[in-house]
Amino acid sequence: MPKEYEQATVVLPPKQKKIVDLIVKGYTDIDKIAEQFKTSRESLMRDLEELREKELLTITREIVEIFELTSEAERYLELGLPEQRVLKVLEKSGEIVVKDLAKAALKYSIPLTDKEAKIGLSVLAKAKAVKIEKGKISLVQENLSKLVDELSKMQKTLKQIKEGKAPEQVLSTLIRRKLVKKKSRRKIYAYPTPNLKKLYKAGKIREAPVITTLTPEILASGAWRTAYFKPFDLSVEPPTIYPGKKHPYLEFLDYIRELLVSMGFEEMKGPHVEMELWNFDALFQAQDHPAREIHDTYFLKYPNEGRVEDESLMNRIARVHEDGWETGSKGWGYKWDPRRALRLILRTQTTAVSARTLYARGDGEYMCFSLGRVFRPETLDPKHSMEFYQLEGIIVGEKVTFRHLLGFFEEIAKRLGLGKIMLKPGYFPFTEPSVEGFIKHPKLGWIEVFPGGMFRPEMLAGLGIKKSNVAAWGIGIDRIAMTVLGIDDIRLLFTRDLDFLRKWRKPIVKTWR
Amino acid sequence: MPVIEVSIRDLERLVGETLSLEELEDLLPRLKCEYEGVEGEYVYYEATHDRPDLFSAEGLSRALKGLLEIELGMPGVILRQERVKAHVDGPTYRPYAFFATVHGLKLDDEAVKQIMQLQEKLHITYCRDRRKVSIGVYDLSKVKPPIYYTKAKPEEVKFTPLEFAEELTLKEILELHPKGIEYGHLIKSYEEYPLLVDSEGKVLSMPPIVNSEDTKVTEDTKEVFIDVTATDPQAGLKVLNVVATSIAERGETIGLVEIKGTWSGVTPDLTPESLLYDNTITEKVVGIKVSVEKASELLKKMRMDAKPISETKIEVKIPAYRLDILHPIDIAEDIAMAYGYENIKPEPYPPPHPGMPHPIEFFSKIIRETMVGYGFQEVNSYMMTNKKLLYDMMNLPEQPTVEVLNPKHENYSCIRTWLIPQLMEVLSQSKHADYPQKIFEVGDVVLIDETSSTKTREERHLAFAIADREATLTDLLAVLKSLSLQLGFSYKLEPIDHPSFIPGRSAKIVVNKKSLGILGEIRPRVLLNFELNVPIIAVEININVLKEELISP
Repeated sequence: MPKEYEQATVVLPPKQKKIVDLIVKGYTDIDKIAEQFKTSRESLMRDLEELREKELLTITREIVEIFELTSEAERYLELGLPEQRVLKVLEKSGEIVVKDLAKAALKYSIPLTDKEAKIGLSVLAKAKAVKIEKGKISLVQENLSKLVDELSKMQKTLKQIKEGKAPEQVLSTLIRRKLVKKKSRRKIYAYPTPNLKKLYKAGKIREAPVITTLTPEILASGAWRTAYFKPFDLSVEPPTIYPGKKHPYLEFLDYIRELLVSMGFEEMKGPHVEMELWNFDALFQAQDHPAREIHDTYFLKYPNEGRVEDESLMNRIARVHEDGWETGSKGWGYKWDPRRALRLILRTQTTAVSARTLYARGDGEYMCFSLGRVFRPETLDPKHSMEFYQLEGIIVGEKVTFRHLLGFFEEIAKRLGLGKIMLKPGYFPFTEPSVEGFIKHPKLGWIEVFPGGMFRPEMLAGLGIKKSNVAAWGIGIDRIAMTVLGIDDIRLLFTRDLDFLRKWRKPIVKTWR
Repeated sequence: MPVIEVSIRDLERLVGETLSLEELEDLLPRLKCEYEGVEGEYVYYEATHDRPDLFSAEGLSRALKGLLEIELGMPGVILRQERVKAHVDGPTYRPYAFFATVHGLKLDDEAVKQIMQLQEKLHITYCRDRRKVSIGVYDLSKVKPPIYYTKAKPEEVKFTPLEFAEELTLKEILELHPKGIEYGHLIKSYEEYPLLVDSEGKVLSMPPIVNSEDTKVTEDTKEVFIDVTATDPQAGLKVLNVVATSIAERGETIGLVEIKGTWSGVTPDLTPESLLYDNTITEKVVGIKVSVEKASELLKKMRMDAKPISETKIEVKIPAYRLDILHPIDIAEDIAMAYGYENIKPEPYPPPHPGMPHPIEFFSKIIRETMVGYGFQEVNSYMMTNKKLLYDMMNLPEQPTVEVLNPKHENYSCIRTWLIPQLMEVLSQSKHADYPQKIFEVGDVVLIDETSSTKTREERHLAFAIADREATLTDLLAVLKSLSLQLGFSYKLEPIDHPSFIPGRSAKIVVNKKSLGILGEIRPRVLLNFELNVPIIAVEININVLKEELISP
């Protein structure tokens, strides 16, 4: 079949259609075409290449000499050559002293720097268009007209170069005066193929429709097959959206909870409003222990006294405090006051929860943890809070020893990515032996985060534990949280600033590196 | 915990060997003391409450000599033959007084400072701010025994208190002397004040307030008289032992004092306590295997006498200054400390059961994750708040609320009874943040409940709120409806009148005839209380009820 009949319409994306239009119109220099697009020629190359592949264009490359104006010449093009400006001044002023030239220029509002005045004068003198006698300049009319002609030609050449046209003459002078630079440049030219000309004439070059938003209709009609998808401008800033998200601190605590569960601990809970009994007495903390004073414990105005129905529990605790009862201890040697034990407080330590758990579950083999809030009379500041979280736990069993406590510390430090821990003897009223675990903080040095110990026999006897050992630990989880969350003000854990919460990054524990 | 200051030079003199800072940094933690730092020749460390015998350089040096194996076992005490006599007839509210003397002292400025520090640190800790016990130390050569612990009317006696130049009456001392002002409350309400005088009526001190200037200890003092007055005799006797044995580290002998009067006896009683230690405890509790011989050696390093008497038993003698030994477990700790915690190998404990989160936390997490899915930001508020926020600001009449007796700040003086007010607080302080604002909190509230042993009941609540120019009740009802579909419960809405919500735009949520919570559009008056200028829709749900509904069989 004759080739002509096979030729179908060629649909081009808008950009390629416009390139073809320009080339058919006679544009061949790609730089000129790029100018029309207000873009660089590099950004056209892909399209040109595609058009060449479609056999619509031929492309040739050559290296040409081009001329460029220096910044000095750009100024001359705008204001005139210095000699032209000096002439203008002289025409207005008549005979003038050399040193007054700049002043006169100023007077007639002709821009002329000292340097330009010098250049202008020297050119004029060389052409004998002026003469200088006894410091005075005067025009030499007979030589003037030839020079003026010359100068306007120079001006014209500068203009041509600026417009990218081939300069006609006086080039060597301009190059010598460092007004024009000669450069070589790779030029690219595109020419229409006969095929393009034929198609174009036959109106078979068409622009593809542009799709900005793909719609079900476009999909259904198949219009997308010949359409051109408008490219997405990736430089435009997208709008900010705020995801629904967990509070980063609580998300960290969720992680801690999962961690403890994965280590075999069951979660225990106890009330925030607590009797001194569970918070102190059951822990063998004497009733005149300083922690039980008004500076360290929130007492309640209302309600103020709780109730305990288990008389034998009260008796056991009374005995261990007073004389150690059957534990082999001397006790604290004072008269224990049951009313004092019933006083209601806001719990100061979640050890109260451990005490309740031991009382409720008794001897056995179990591991429990509690993750809850405790309260201390503190003034809120970046380092102190009247309300904070404690992570507390117990390991109960007949064969449980102090070594298992240390083993737990080692394991949890590893899982929290806290690095090596340092263990030192410590003191807590309800544990013996006691230990303090320190971790190395990048800024603060060694900080104590793992206090713990073996619950004292007096405490266990009071709670009705007869055979088991109990390893107990408490962790200042807020401090660890602040390290993980990258904050140094404890109040931010309870911030009321929604903007801050929205921008706060998610807590990522560094164990999983 | 008290921070103790000691001079390295003084410490070296007492220990009898040079000590490097590195050595001290290593040794102090072995005695539960936390090394705090060094300034010039002074080292600072935090001692623990149970070891008042380490509250000064004397006691510390005694313990260090053990760890460094310069001296092992119980420190010897040389008792003086001669006894000073004393008579006790103090006020009934502070009836006990015990005494001791120490002789052959060599003191200097630093030593005097240490004696003062020991008293001061004991006072604020074991002595319960002088309420339970108070201590006085005097230059024995400046008084004429016998010494009398007696009482006097506030204006009856005059003496020159420490650091003062003129005599004041007891009453004036309470009003004018810094210690009188600080501790006057301990005796002020009584008709007669405690007084310690010598046989010629010269005043040594007004316990527990201040000593006299005339009898104070100086660098030239060669022998001291120590008094301890107490409300609790056992505590008083123990403190006397700590003070007397500590000062005796700088002297030659300790003198007994024969006491007659309302209490008779001879003090100090420095007889070491004997205890039969069952060494199986070491393995059973600490988890380390040490022979009775090895354990005895370790105890000697801790300055106790220890003698194995069988395969498992050790006879232990505990020096009278060790106040912390109540039970054999305390001996076990000393063995562990001397053994070195760094030598105790940590061992993981195999969990006897799988772990498990608490059901309410498990359930809360499901709710919280569902709320996050609806695009809500979780917030976290203190449980402590104030009644103004809970009720006044919310246009609600006051309800029974847990209230704190000693708040540090009025903003944190009670425990929340519902969550919406704190959500309002967040919205009110986040007006600079883009709208719409969708926030939620899951947290505990505490309600008064007389039937409970703690007189309170805790509920786990979910509250969420939407704040936006165009927010309507529909936005919130859509979330509630979805929540019910996702979790699988059905509910009814019953219109209610609630002072916090616009009339006609609030409802009670009812599930199976049980009240689940409330919802509504916040009243403009309440919005203005919080200086808010957009509509707010809020809901609060008791998720304990929901959990029962969904989880119980």
